[in-house]
Amino acid sequence: MVIGVAAATFLLLHAVPGDPAHEVLGEHATPAAVAALLHRWGLDRSLGSQFVRYVGDLVTLRLGSSFVYGVSVISLIGDRIGETAALVGIGTLFAVLITVPLATVAASRRDRVPDHAVRGVSVLGLGMPAFWFGIVLIEIFALRLRLLPVGGAGSGFLGHIESLILPGLTASFAIVPLLVRSLRVGMLEVLGADFVAAARANGLGEVRVLIWHVARNAVIPTLTLLGLNIAFLVGSTVIVENVFALNGLGSLLLSSISSRDFPVVQAITLVLAISVVLINLATDLLAARLDPRIRLR
Amino acid sequence: MSTEPEQTLTRRRLLRNGAASSVLLAAGPLLAASPARAATARIADALAAAAPKKGGTLTFARSVAPTQLDPANSIIAGDVYTLDKIMEPLYITSPAGQLVPWLAESHTTSADGLTWTFNLRPGVKFSNGMPLTPADVVFSIKREAANKNGPLSFLDFAIKTIKPSGANKVVMTLSAPWAPFLSDISVFANAIIPANYGGKSEKAFFANPIGTGPFMLDSFTPSSNLTLKRNPHYWQAGKPYLDAVHMNYVSDDNQRVLQIQSGEAQIIDSVPPANVAALKKASGIGVELFPAWEVDLLVFNEKLPQFADRHVRRAITYAIDRPALVAATSFGTAKPGGSFLPPSLEYYDPKTPVLAYSLSAAKAELAKSKYPHGFKTKLLIAGGVQKWSEFAAIIQQSLAPLNIIVTIDSPDNAAFHTQFEAFNYEMFIDYAINDISDPDEMASFELDFKSGGSSSYWSSYNNPAVIALVHKAEAEFDSAKRAALYGQIQAIVAGDAPFVPLDYPPYIYATSNKVNGFAVNPGGAYRLENVWLS
Repeated sequence: MVIGVAAATFLLLHAVPGDPAHEVLGEHATPAAVAALLHRWGLDRSLGSQFVRYVGDLVTLRLGSSFVYGVSVISLIGDRIGETAALVGIGTLFAVLITVPLATVAASRRDRVPDHAVRGVSVLGLGMPAFWFGIVLIEIFALRLRLLPVGGAGSGFLGHIESLILPGLTASFAIVPLLVRSLRVGMLEVLGADFVAAARANGLGEVRVLIWHVARNAVIPTLTLLGLNIAFLVGSTVIVENVFALNGLGSLLLSSISSRDFPVVQAITLVLAISVVLINLATDLLAARLDPRIRLR
Repeated sequence: MSTEPEQTLTRRRLLRNGAASSVLLAAGPLLAASPARAATARIADALAAAAPKKGGTLTFARSVAPTQLDPANSIIAGDVYTLDKIMEPLYITSPAGQLVPWLAESHTTSADGLTWTFNLRPGVKFSNGMPLTPADVVFSIKREAANKNGPLSFLDFAIKTIKPSGANKVVMTLSAPWAPFLSDISVFANAIIPANYGGKSEKAFFANPIGTGPFMLDSFTPSSNLTLKRNPHYWQAGKPYLDAVHMNYVSDDNQRVLQIQSGEAQIIDSVPPANVAALKKASGIGVELFPAWEVDLLVFNEKLPQFADRHVRRAITYAIDRPALVAATSFGTAKPGGSFLPPSLEYYDPKTPVLAYSLSAAKAELAKSKYPHGFKTKLLIAGGVQKWSEFAAIIQQSLAPLNIIVTIDSPDNAAFHTQFEAFNYEMFIDYAINDISDPDEMASFELDFKSGGSSSYWSSYNNPAVIALVHKAEAEFDSAKRAALYGQIQAIVAGDAPFVPLDYPPYIYATSNKVNGFAVNPGGAYRLENVWLS
């Protein structure tokens, strides 16, 4: 997958017209100055030889230097990866915190008002663009209630955490609707299982049945789904960082695409692809720990 | 369009009117509420309270981010409007658009216009405490002039020699008389740094540059946030007032507006015109429009036969109702276009005979062309910019009565530039700017087909009479004669219509009412040594 992403990024970037020299030299640049710069960057070679060099660099882990910033791509990414990782982390946390109670309520009140409400809201959530939801949150919590900052990274550790609450919520909404529906279905299946009937027959309270028996068993397919959908969450950070003025990888990716800063775009897409693969791996391992059946196989 | 009184409002008059009205607003209630003597006393109190207060940190949310801070090697707005707080040139352009002696106290020009002697201001120190010397000036200007890849090094092409003279003079000789020279010297790219980078390597120097400016670099993450701190050696006694400035990168328009509304930022740039009215009503926030050396142009590709036809270009110009276009799109912030030079620029001629909107004149003009029944054409704009989409839609509708059927093509900004610079377009819309206070940059870049550097802003417009006038104005030192030459140029260009100047957009900033002394020059630069927080 990572190789596919690297190849696709390279080809897409070079297929669209646009010239990074323009960004650096401005509109008064002489053709000679542009040609000299393109030569320095190796962009005057054929696409095939550029690709071979790119793959060679990747294999030897040379990500190169940014055209626009003139510094190594690794240092640019290093400056920003923490912000994006924190956003993904908090977004995932919110996704879980929102999903579990909603799905439990919906499953335990199947086909009644709460169930319809949760299902309705999750359909609505699927159709709602992240930037719009973010703006609504800012309007309510930052401008009217003045509880949280409207954007930026905040200062100090607490200020930083505080500044990630609204972006985290917004990012989580990229996957919450999917997760709620899947956990609800999972819980309904488990609710119909024999061991639940047995637990009820033994006189256990409904809350205890739901939490100890139903939720625990339904969480495994949801975790797998979370792993699969984390790509959406990571992808949503590009928009969310822009809306909330967080200077993470997503906002750097956007500006680098518009200035055709090829090495930066290629490196960030690669980093994002690798993180998605790693997160998938991690959730699979976690699922194995939670479900003895997977471990046995 | 010369009959429009608003059109002729110069930048200076606009500022003066603005300043006078704010003084009246402040003094008005006091005068009405109290007897004359008490009022005088209170005004005195108010003036005392208005004395600049030292200290505090300004948070500035900007749509642009610095990538690096070498003045000779950047044209990126985020770099330019950051490094100019750290490094300063010999002259600068004031908010009123005029050249002001800065690191030079004065200059003299020889009678033949070839020898320029700059007298350096005494007592100026760099932020490391070292005094400014002629050797620093020679090093800095030589470095820029010799930098063939420098985005603005063409401005120094006239310099033949540059030498120190005595303890505080620098003498430059030119290869030909060059009237815009002082403007060229004032550009940020000619900022003065210590000779030989103060003993550091070039790279190490620009990682933490030393200059004579009011601020020094405190912390910097490329393409992200940057913090400036006060330069304790600044040559203007008592300035800057601010201890520090946070320049935060906030690319999203909406987020910047939210930050000024919530008080997280005290100044924001590039306020979307649609938000101006609401922000003006908000308490504690002011909105300021600063005239810019900027013109939005509709450009015709004269390599194509239909646009090589002068009648076609004139017909299209007549068919576009510019006051209506501006009213529909700018929410009252921009001025309708007329001359290709903006009113904020010296030698702008308000009497330029502009082809003002007239559908009958447009139809008559098209009837005289080789395309009396119209034609199909394409309009190229940069995608993702609401203003350009609106302009394109209005132009599309405006040309329909001439049976000129326009389709709109809007690739992203980088692809857009590649396309029009390769003449791979029929018409395009873009903004033209001037980097210096002299109109020659705009005139030669847009009109000098041979040596202007852009084949007349990629229009291929080539009128030898205009080119000759542009060159004549470059060598003319008499201000009245230069004004007459630029008047002629503007009149011919308005008649030839190689492009339609659509509007003159201002720079729009919103500031907290706590911010005092903030002003932007028509080049887009704002100096912060006069800014203080109440």
